[in-house]
Amino acid sequence: MNKALRNPWIYAAFIAPTLALYLLFFLYPVVQSLYYGFYQWDGITDKIYIGFDNFTRLLHDKVFIKSFWNNMYFLVFSLVINIPLVVLISILISKVNRLRSFYKSAVFVPVVISTSTVAILFGVLYNYESGMINQVLRSIGLDSWAQEWLSDPKLAMLSILIANAWQNIGFFIVLCLAAILNIPREIVEAANIDGATSWRETRLITLPLIRPVMFVMLLLSVSGTMKVLDIVQIMTNGGPFQSTEVMSTYMLKVGFRSMELGYGSAIGVAMFIIILVMTGILQLISRRREEVQY
Amino acid sequence: MAKTMQSLPSAQGNIGSAQGSSGSLWYQIRQKRLPFHFTLWAYILVTLFPLVWLLMSSFKTNREITVNTWALPKSFNFDNYRAAWESANIGGYAFNSLYITIVSCLLTLALASATSFAIARMKFKALNKAVYQFILLGLLVPASALFIPLYRLINELHLYNNHWSLILVYCTYALPITVFILHAFMISIPNELEEAGIMDGMSAAGLFVRVILPLSMPSLVTVTILNFIGNWNEYILSQLFISSEAKRTLTTGMATFNDGYRTNFASLSAAVIMSVIPVLIVYLFLQRQIIAGMTAGGVKG
Repeated sequence: MNKALRNPWIYAAFIAPTLALYLLFFLYPVVQSLYYGFYQWDGITDKIYIGFDNFTRLLHDKVFIKSFWNNMYFLVFSLVINIPLVVLISILISKVNRLRSFYKSAVFVPVVISTSTVAILFGVLYNYESGMINQVLRSIGLDSWAQEWLSDPKLAMLSILIANAWQNIGFFIVLCLAAILNIPREIVEAANIDGATSWRETRLITLPLIRPVMFVMLLLSVSGTMKVLDIVQIMTNGGPFQSTEVMSTYMLKVGFRSMELGYGSAIGVAMFIIILVMTGILQLISRRREEVQY
Repeated sequence: MAKTMQSLPSAQGNIGSAQGSSGSLWYQIRQKRLPFHFTLWAYILVTLFPLVWLLMSSFKTNREITVNTWALPKSFNFDNYRAAWESANIGGYAFNSLYITIVSCLLTLALASATSFAIARMKFKALNKAVYQFILLGLLVPASALFIPLYRLINELHLYNNHWSLILVYCTYALPITVFILHAFMISIPNELEEAGIMDGMSAAGLFVRVILPLSMPSLVTVTILNFIGNWNEYILSQLFISSEAKRTLTTGMATFNDGYRTNFASLSAAVIMSVIPVLIVYLFLQRQIIAGMTAGGVKG
């Protein structure tokens, strides 16, 4: 009777185009990436097989190592500054009834703006002469605090991190808020009857019960910060003096400016492996902990 | 990954549900909520102020921006907008972006919904599972690790500087998350409706178009929003694949304009505002759907 749903021709027609695109533009590049990684190649002359040389070169490449630490800087900033702020704002929003959906919509505004626009916007804000940040400092009498935010190697990274946080925090707030509002009301009410104060309720009920979403935010932070690209490329393109270089901007420079396609591919493979290992470790750690039961 | 992914769609449903709004100002004070509101307002003010500042700057001259930073613009002078519109070709870029985004979204929707239907509803158990797992592999590898081979491939296919390079690649990288969301939805549709269709002698294609697709509308909206915003905002691939000025998308066009006009704040502000306004207007009307759609893609990471 279910013959219609066993028609192999229709089945093939329904999955073949998807698989074709997927094989061509996804699987083939993945395989190529691994393959190029073992060659020295400028894209024009013959490839030369060099085994693991590209990968051992990576481990001694000061710029690559610097780039990796800059990605880690992004991650640490996200964990230490962004996520606590996200949890705080989400809890505050969850505690008010009035205007809740307004707050949620307002914090989400930067998320819908494209990263390239955010990068340009902050480029304007950080300008020395007339940018908003320096003008604010000057108008409250802190003239000496005005800085060359993006061209000072000591500050450029921090400036980008702030712009990046500005754009991403709203997204996390919405995820976190959803988890908080998902906590069954009976639990919160029971705690209130037991006389739990707002702060105790937060510490003993909300925070433990939103552990799963914290873990999701952690995973998203890892994969997001390890492959960060657009904002860095437009704001500083890795400069000044490679102080803001990240793995992906370095890969593009190696691959497209120096035309070292083999080495560039090896950087891509390294990025992929780093993300996979880090998320894999997190998954293992989380699996040991039991799931939250209401 | 699977576990965290599954936890999200269920959270989705509750994002919008407020626990009943209540209360006068007095109620809020008694409940000691005022400090919460103050903090939230402060946070939102700090967050959104850069946009307001930019909007003000966009009506000023460069000199006014530097000297009278905090004053409101003397008049609503649209010269900056005219200059930016003419020199930045924003209209042309926006059209390219819109065209690429829409075609790519439709293609993704067609391919992913057909595939999701096949693997969620048709009776090829082992094959279904294999295809599904295979497509989800795409969630693990970030496109950013594959720029070099992708660029070579686009050249070999003679798609370089052709909008189809972006359409096809955007579509491919949207497929895993789209199939993931649509598959989850379609597999939860009860069998009864389908059986009625089969009794009426429908083919699998008929069931897909006339029964399953209409029922899947909410999830189709979600994935379309998710993909639309992703494609519209995409920057690096369009930078790599498109070389001619006339074919640029809005994101790369803006970045180029930024490089050329770094010191011309007034024009730059106007250009940024012009590229942000349409997005904000759409957001104003579709906030709930957009928030739900974009966070559904959170798992893509």
